[in-house]
Amino acid sequence: MTTLIKLEIVRALRNKKFMFFSVIYPPALYLIIAGGADSKPIPGMKLNMSLYFMVAMAAFGAMTAVLIGNSEAIAKEREKGWVRQLRLTALPGRGYVAAKMGSAATVSLPSIVLVMLVAATVKGVRLEAWQWIAILVATWLGSFVFAALGVAIGYLATGDAVRPIAMMIYFVLAFLGGLWMPLTILPQWVQNIAEWLPTHAYAALGTAIEGGHAPDVKDLAILAGYLLVFAGGAGWLYRKDTRTA
Amino acid sequence: MTSTATITDRATGRRAGPEPVVSFRKVSKNYGAVRAVADLDLELYPGETVALLGPNGAGKSSTLDLLLGLRNADTGSVSLFGTSPQRAIEQGKVGAMLQSGGLMTGVKVRELVKLASDLHPGGYPVEQIMDAAGITEIADRMVDKLSGGQEQRVRFALATAGANDLIVLDEPTTGMDVSSRQTFWGTMRAQARQGRTVLFATHYLEEADEVADRVIVLHRGRVLADGTAAEIKARAGARRVVFDLDGPVDRGVLRGLPHLTSLEVSGRTVRIQSGDADATMHAVYGLGLYPRNLEVAGLGLEQAFIAITDAATAEEAAR
Repeated sequence: MTTLIKLEIVRALRNKKFMFFSVIYPPALYLIIAGGADSKPIPGMKLNMSLYFMVAMAAFGAMTAVLIGNSEAIAKEREKGWVRQLRLTALPGRGYVAAKMGSAATVSLPSIVLVMLVAATVKGVRLEAWQWIAILVATWLGSFVFAALGVAIGYLATGDAVRPIAMMIYFVLAFLGGLWMPLTILPQWVQNIAEWLPTHAYAALGTAIEGGHAPDVKDLAILAGYLLVFAGGAGWLYRKDTRTA
Repeated sequence: MTSTATITDRATGRRAGPEPVVSFRKVSKNYGAVRAVADLDLELYPGETVALLGPNGAGKSSTLDLLLGLRNADTGSVSLFGTSPQRAIEQGKVGAMLQSGGLMTGVKVRELVKLASDLHPGGYPVEQIMDAAGITEIADRMVDKLSGGQEQRVRFALATAGANDLIVLDEPTTGMDVSSRQTFWGTMRAQARQGRTVLFATHYLEEADEVADRVIVLHRGRVLADGTAAEIKARAGARRVVFDLDGPVDRGVLRGLPHLTSLEVSGRTVRIQSGDADATMHAVYGLGLYPRNLEVAGLGLEQAFIAITDAATAEEAAR
């Protein structure tokens, strides 16, 4: 199982094109969105745009890399019959999911680091040392939730359907989770729904740390719950999938 | 045509021990209105090398899918090593090579072989696997850059890497040249000698003839014949008889010959397949005919196979 995890990471590092765009895209988007922002606090929040979007874009970038990357790669591997071959080995379902999450995390880590670097150098974001580290770790670990979701989507959809399905889930989650704009400017009922989405909890980890305190237990619980459901579902689909992709 | 030859363990000459490696009990599988596997009963024993033969659509691939738990049977039960296919696979008892099985891309051949070895408890050393599969010289090549034959050898390496008790191969030598084919079967024989069970589907009949110690002929999802290659040949009508006749040929008369399994007349040349060539020829002379250029020869497995499946098709059509 560790061999597969290592091999998946090596593969991810070898895929230079995908790596490049996955890593460049989030900081570029950060500069576009937060680029002209002033340092006034966002209405209804204590944070200003630069701070808020550093966390939101780091989360968004990590999610892009792991969700879109994973679901497409897996659907492709199913089509090629590699997953079928792998299922005829003694590899347990969790091994496959773990390996895919490992490779996704390899891609998401540098993109998070880069957003934070750009925020610090270009936008002059200043935080305590522990806050930088805590945001990096929280955002990175949080990306595992979406990596697992990516594996599950790669299993549910086939061929041409994967991209639109993954995109739809991704846009809805990103928008309603407040990764593109602070939710405080949206109607209350939208905010009420959004509160329970993994993306909202994900971004909330970082904003809580920026505010100087530990992440909310509720957000941690929501993420842990989603991780369990997505990873469990993905592992179950891997084993139970008796259809020919 | 429902009787099947007795199954005996070729190594010991007796019916093998009580524990079959593979067991199908009254297994059926339909795809919509198409019956892919029909009431299939099948048992494989340790150390057997078994060829699964059948025309296209006979249910070979469906049978292998059911055996490996890639599909579930509609009725009946499939067990491997006394447990479900999935459990047996998770326990590392099965190595398989499927036609539909692709390879991981973006990795080197050696890395992939190492993966296959590490995934199974007690997998063989990487160098040994690559040597046996004849892929040592392409060990550092990327999997994406292989030719069809090389890819096939890599898949074979993956199927044997785990030192599994049961090896299942679907059309394993398709795309291989003659020498890789020989290497391949040499390795398979060595595996069987160590007590492993090898099951392969093929449409190269000479391979089944040379390699398998048991041949199972499938037709429309049923077992049509099950025995050694020699038994199957005998069953199909052991002899092929060819002769020329001087005068006009009366098909009606020839059709009445004893032990005849097939009759073909072109011009004055008569081609017969017979279960007992001596009796058939005796009757030919008895009719007052004088056959010239008489040739009597044994059937190859290929002709036997065609004879058996044709007869089954004709029988079904007549019903």
